[in-house]
Amino acid sequence: MIRAASDPSQPLLHVVNVSRHFGGLSAVSDFSLELRRGELIGLIGPNGAGKTTCFNLITGVYKPSSGEIFASGERIDGLAPMQINRAGIARTFQNIRLFQNLTVLDNVLVGFNRPAEMGLFRTILRLPGFARERVRAEVDGMDLLSILDLADHANQLARNLPYGQQRRLEIARALATSPRVLLLDEPAAGMNPNEKQDLMELVRFIREKFDVGILLIEHDMKLVMSICERITVLDHGEIIAVGPPAQVRCDPKVVEAYLGEPV
Amino acid sequence: MSSRKSDTSAPSASADDAPLAASTTAPVWRQSLIASLGANLPIPVLLLLLIPLSRIVEGQAFGLYNQRIVMLIGFNIILAVSLQLINGFSGQFSLGHAGFMAVGAYLAAYPAISYSQRLTDPTSCLLFFISLGIVFAIGGVILLGLFLLIRMTRRIHSAVPMWLLLLWIIWIVADFARGSLLDRQAWPYWLIWTRLIAALQSMFDHMIAAGQTPAANFSAHLPVFLQQPLSYLVLVIGGGLCAAVVGLVVGMPALRLRGDYLAIATLGLAEIIRIVIQNSQPLGGALGLTGIPKFTDFVWLYGAVIITIVVIWRLGYSAKGRAIMAVREDEIAAAAIGIDTTRQKVIAFMVGAFFGGVAGAMFSLHERSITPGSFGMAKSIEIVVMVTLGGLGSISGAIAAAIVLTLLPEILRNVGAEISDYRMIIYSALLVVMMLVRPQGLLGGRELWPRRFFRKQAQPRGFPVGGVK
Repeated sequence: MIRAASDPSQPLLHVVNVSRHFGGLSAVSDFSLELRRGELIGLIGPNGAGKTTCFNLITGVYKPSSGEIFASGERIDGLAPMQINRAGIARTFQNIRLFQNLTVLDNVLVGFNRPAEMGLFRTILRLPGFARERVRAEVDGMDLLSILDLADHANQLARNLPYGQQRRLEIARALATSPRVLLLDEPAAGMNPNEKQDLMELVRFIREKFDVGILLIEHDMKLVMSICERITVLDHGEIIAVGPPAQVRCDPKVVEAYLGEPV
Repeated sequence: MSSRKSDTSAPSASADDAPLAASTTAPVWRQSLIASLGANLPIPVLLLLLIPLSRIVEGQAFGLYNQRIVMLIGFNIILAVSLQLINGFSGQFSLGHAGFMAVGAYLAAYPAISYSQRLTDPTSCLLFFISLGIVFAIGGVILLGLFLLIRMTRRIHSAVPMWLLLLWIIWIVADFARGSLLDRQAWPYWLIWTRLIAALQSMFDHMIAAGQTPAANFSAHLPVFLQQPLSYLVLVIGGGLCAAVVGLVVGMPALRLRGDYLAIATLGLAEIIRIVIQNSQPLGGALGLTGIPKFTDFVWLYGAVIITIVVIWRLGYSAKGRAIMAVREDEIAAAAIGIDTTRQKVIAFMVGAFFGGVAGAMFSLHERSITPGSFGMAKSIEIVVMVTLGGLGSISGAIAAAIVLTLLPEILRNVGAEISDYRMIIYSALLVVMMLVRPQGLLGGRELWPRRFFRKQAQPRGFPVGGVK
C-alpha cells in the first residue's frame, strides 16, 4: 500500500480541542496537538491523567464527545478504528496485544492487508497471481522483521517470544500498515536500562527510515527528554504544559503534578 | 546507523522493482506459474484416487451397511470441516450448523420433488431458485428499508427506535393473527403484512407458472446424459447458496455478540429454522418430505468432500485466513491495523454456512425422506463435538474426528452383544476421557501434514540480518 503524497503544509495529525467524558467524569478535556512530518512528540503525565484515553480517541476506540481530529487534512474523528488506520495512523498498545497464536512473520503479514493478496478466486484456485503476491508479501515481511532484528524468530509463535521482542514485534506490525503517524503507548514499560537504550535508538531510526511522525507515551523521563522535540504534559485530562523538554522540565506546574523535586 | 540509512527505501515502497527472492534467479512469472501448478497438483491426484476407491465402496463385497457408514462419514467430514472455518478459524463459536444443513436440505428437496420431474429438468430447478431469490430480495429490501427508517429516528431520542421496533413486531404479529382468525375482508386496512406475504407468494407462483413451460422445453433439448447431473448440481449449489444467504442474514446481527452469547444466539436461530420448517405445510410439517429422488452416490460425495477440504484449506491458510485468524486472536488489535473485522467474520460464517447447506442438500438427495428431527440440536452438537475433539483450528483434526466419531458407535455395536448395549455410555465416557487427557483436541490447532510443502522460507532482501538491537 503506497500512500498518495500528502499536502506537506498540513500537519500529519491535528487534534483540535477534543474532549471526552464518561457520564459525569471528564476523562480528557480540550486536548489539542499538532504533529508535523518527522516530528517526535512525547505525551507524559501521572497515572490516570488520560494519556491512553487520548490515544484511544485518536485511533477511534472511543468517539470524542466534542472536538475535531484531522489526519493530513482529512477529518477522522468518529470513524471506525479500521478506517482511521487506513488513513495512516498506526498504534501499539500499553498491554501487548499481539496475535499470540500466529507466527511472528504472520503477525507482520496481517498488517500488510493488501487487497491484491486477498482476492477470493485467486485464493481458492491458487492462480499464479496468488503465488506472486504471497512471495512478495513474505519477502517484504522478512525485510521488516530483519530491520527490527526479529528475522531469526520468523517462524516462532508470537506468544513464545521474550517480552522485549514482543514489544518490537508490535512496532513491526504497526509499521507494516505503512503509517504516516505512529502512536507508541509506553514502549519501554518493563524494560531494563540497556533495552531502553536500544529502544531509543530504534525509535529514532524508525522515524528517519520510515518517514513517520511519532507520538510517544512514556514514563521514563530520561528517555522522553532525550529523544522528543516537544513534550505535552497532561494532568486530570487537561494539558498543563507544552514545549521543548528543557522548558517543560522547569515548568512549576509540571514539577508539582508529575516530576516532584527538580531532576 | 549511518550504513543503514543509505539502504533502499522502506520495504513496502520498493516492492515492485525488487527481485522476488534473493536466492532465486528465475523470472517472476515463471516462478509464480510453477508455484500455481504445484499447488494445484494434488487435486487431479486425489480425483484419480476416486476410481479404485469407488470400485471398493460400490462393489458387492463391501456391503450396503458399510457403504452407508462410508456415506455418513462423508457428510460428517463436510459438516465438520465447514464448521471448523467458523469455530476454529474465525473463533465465532457457532452451535447452529444443523440449521444451515436444514436450509440446504429442504430447499434442495422441495424443488427436487415438485419441479425437477425426477431430476430430469434442471432449468425448472434453476427457475425455482431464481424466483425464490427475487421474491426474497424484494421482501428483504422492504424490511431493510423500514428498519433503516426506524433506525434514523434515534436522532430524536436513543430509545425511540426500540419502541418503534417493538410496535412494528406487535403490528406484524397482530396482522397474522387476525389474518388467520377472521374474514380477510373485514379488516382491509390492518392486514398489510398478511397481504404483503400473499402478494409475494402470488408473485412467486406467477413467475413459476410463466417460466415452467419454456424451462421444461429447454431442459428437454439438453442431452439426456446431462439432465440428471445438471439438475443435481443446480439443486446442491442452490441449497448451499440459500444456506449462505441465511448465514448472512443470521450472521449480521448475531456476530455482534461474543463467546457464550453468540453460541446461545446461533443455537436459538437454528431452532427457529427447524420450527419454521416444522410448521410449514409445503415443507411437510413434522412429517417431513418423502419421495425425494436419490442421486447422491459415493462418487459425488467424494468429489464434494475433496472440494470442501481444498477450498477451506486454501481460504484458511492464505492472506484472507490470516485476517480471519487475527480477528479470532484479538479483535481490537485487528481493527487497529486496518482489518474490517465484521467482514472477516461474515465471510467465514457465509462460507461455512454454504458448505453446511451443500452437505444438507446432498444428504436429502441421498435419504429419500427427511424430517425436521434430523436437523435438531443433537446434530449441531454432534458436529461441534467433532470440531472440538479434532482440535480447534485444525482441518485435518476435524476430518480425523469426523471419521472416528462416526465409526466408533458402529464398531462398538458390532463387537459383542454385551458391549453393544452400553455403546452410547462407552462413547460418552470416551469423550470425557479424551477431553481430560487432551483438552486441546486430537491435533490441537496443528495439521497432520506441513503447511508449506515445496515453498522455501522467504529471505529478507535489502537489510543485513541483525539490524537495530
